[in-house]
Amino acid sequence: MTLTLNHYLFVSGLLFAIGFAGVMMRRNIITIFMCLELMLNAANLSLVAFSRFNLVNGLPNYNAQVLVFFIITVAAAEVAVGLAIIVALYRARQTIHVEDISSLKF
Amino acid sequence: MISPLSLEIVVLILGIFMLLVESFSKSDDKQGLARFAIVILSALVGFSFFTTGNAGVDLSRAFYSADATALFFKRIALVTTIVVLVMALEYRTVLARFIPGVTPGAGLGEFYSLPIFTCAGLMFMASAVDFLLIFVSLELVTVSFYVLVAYMRRQSTSLEAGVKYLILGALSTGFLVYGITWIFGLTGQTNLYAISEALHTRDIARAPLLFGVMLTLVGLGFKIAAVPFQIWVPDVYQGAPTPVTAFLSVGSKAAGFVVLLRVLEPFLGLSTINTNVLTLLAILAGATLLYGNLAALPQDNLKRLFAYSSIAHAGYLLVAVASVQNSPTSFGSAGVAVGYYLVAYLLMTLLSFLVMIVVSNHSRGDDITHFNGLAKRSPFLAFGMLAAMLSLAGIPFTAGFYGKLLVFAAAIQAGKFVLVGIGVITVAAGFYYYLRVVAAMYWQEPNDDTKITLSFLSKFTIGTLTALIFIFGIFPQPIVQSLRSVPMIQTAQH
Repeated sequence: MTLTLNHYLFVSGLLFAIGFAGVMMRRNIITIFMCLELMLNAANLSLVAFSRFNLVNGLPNYNAQVLVFFIITVAAAEVAVGLAIIVALYRARQTIHVEDISSLKF
Repeated sequence: MISPLSLEIVVLILGIFMLLVESFSKSDDKQGLARFAIVILSALVGFSFFTTGNAGVDLSRAFYSADATALFFKRIALVTTIVVLVMALEYRTVLARFIPGVTPGAGLGEFYSLPIFTCAGLMFMASAVDFLLIFVSLELVTVSFYVLVAYMRRQSTSLEAGVKYLILGALSTGFLVYGITWIFGLTGQTNLYAISEALHTRDIARAPLLFGVMLTLVGLGFKIAAVPFQIWVPDVYQGAPTPVTAFLSVGSKAAGFVVLLRVLEPFLGLSTINTNVLTLLAILAGATLLYGNLAALPQDNLKRLFAYSSIAHAGYLLVAVASVQNSPTSFGSAGVAVGYYLVAYLLMTLLSFLVMIVVSNHSRGDDITHFNGLAKRSPFLAFGMLAAMLSLAGIPFTAGFYGKLLVFAAAIQAGKFVLVGIGVITVAAGFYYYLRVVAAMYWQEPNDDTKITLSFLSKFTIGTLTALIFIFGIFPQPIVQSLRSVPMIQTAQH
């Protein structure tokens, strides 16, 4: 069996769905944060797949692969800031569960 | 003539310089730093009128466009940042109480320099015509906002707001990136003009394209606070330091809308999907209008009230976006409405937040009851707030009224009568909650009689913003003409 673009897109869609479901359902902020990273990586996977399978003049479309590097870098920056905020919250509240973080009410 | 990119470069250098001064300076008082930044940014607003345009640039190969729209939104970003810095100076005593530091002034310099980086991000967003630059500049704005929202590390509401903004901001980024992925996969391009060209020359499957556009809309919907992606807004607005709330509600929204207009342009030009996209936008606009205005009615906390009001104004702006039609002239009239509305929104929102900061510094709270009898304590502040509230509600002879007029005119021109109907009803709801603040200021007895003192800078800013609200409300023609004389978004050539 040869792997086609659709296989990659299916896996990427699955990753995105798992990530999104995790963000909606999990209660631990660290887990939610990991699920968010999963969503970004789903996008990265399909970007590379699109780039590899849609050849331009026999070469992959490198625009997408450059975009992937930017996404990885920005995600790292986001994690650095995000974890710092979560740690600060843990110090203030001694908890990282979303139910306990509700002093601001709708 | 100077190159438009040099504006962003100066802003970035200023930001890095301020961080270095903050790190190495022995002095404890960083107010001079903020004043210096205000001077530089004001000079940049002036310089922005002398930049060379993007004549001769092949936009389908560019990342960065310096068209009139971009320059217009760059000025909005700069002016917003200047007023936010004035607010930050006024807010510094509150901040100092809630950040851990050896000395009272420690760490305040960072609070003055981070908005500068956000401003650079907003300016890049205004010019971005490639998904790569759109993504990176959007993240520059969002990540610096994460830090700013959670800045008061000793106040757990601020941290809580920071975590909520972090999770939902990252979620919206996920949607945006996945949407970009699909658009790239179908067109093989990341540049918006090249995408437009590919859409018209190649046969592209409709369903996956709509899927990609919808995901992108979800991502941008979070940024502009459109219903149903507004869930983060009330909590984050209430918990964040007030200058940051003001920055979020003006800067972030303005940049969100310019990106939205740019991203939508290629897809609205495509006859196979444009009706679907416009219907989707109209539904978003209607829901946002209703939710924002109705949820604002029972609010007692002023910051939370402004959060819902900010959602409501996103609704009016979305009505204008949903009224865009396929022809370039209609794109023009909706674009003019968006541009004018954002200017009016900037003036009145920043003014009300500035007054709110001054008042809550004295009253130690930002509920509507803290504004009781403000007219007796400080007629000047009360008049400023009155002007802002009248304009937000949309009373004639204020900038906000003319903005709403342009939006509804664009909607009528496009035949969106249902949206106009919802808009008129929600304006009536708006009267109630905005005028409640006015009633508290003018007809209630003050809780305490202490006089409110104002720094010269804040007094000058409040005075200028108040005057501009009335000037733009009574003589709207100059700014409308300047918007109309240039194409709002350069449409691609086919």
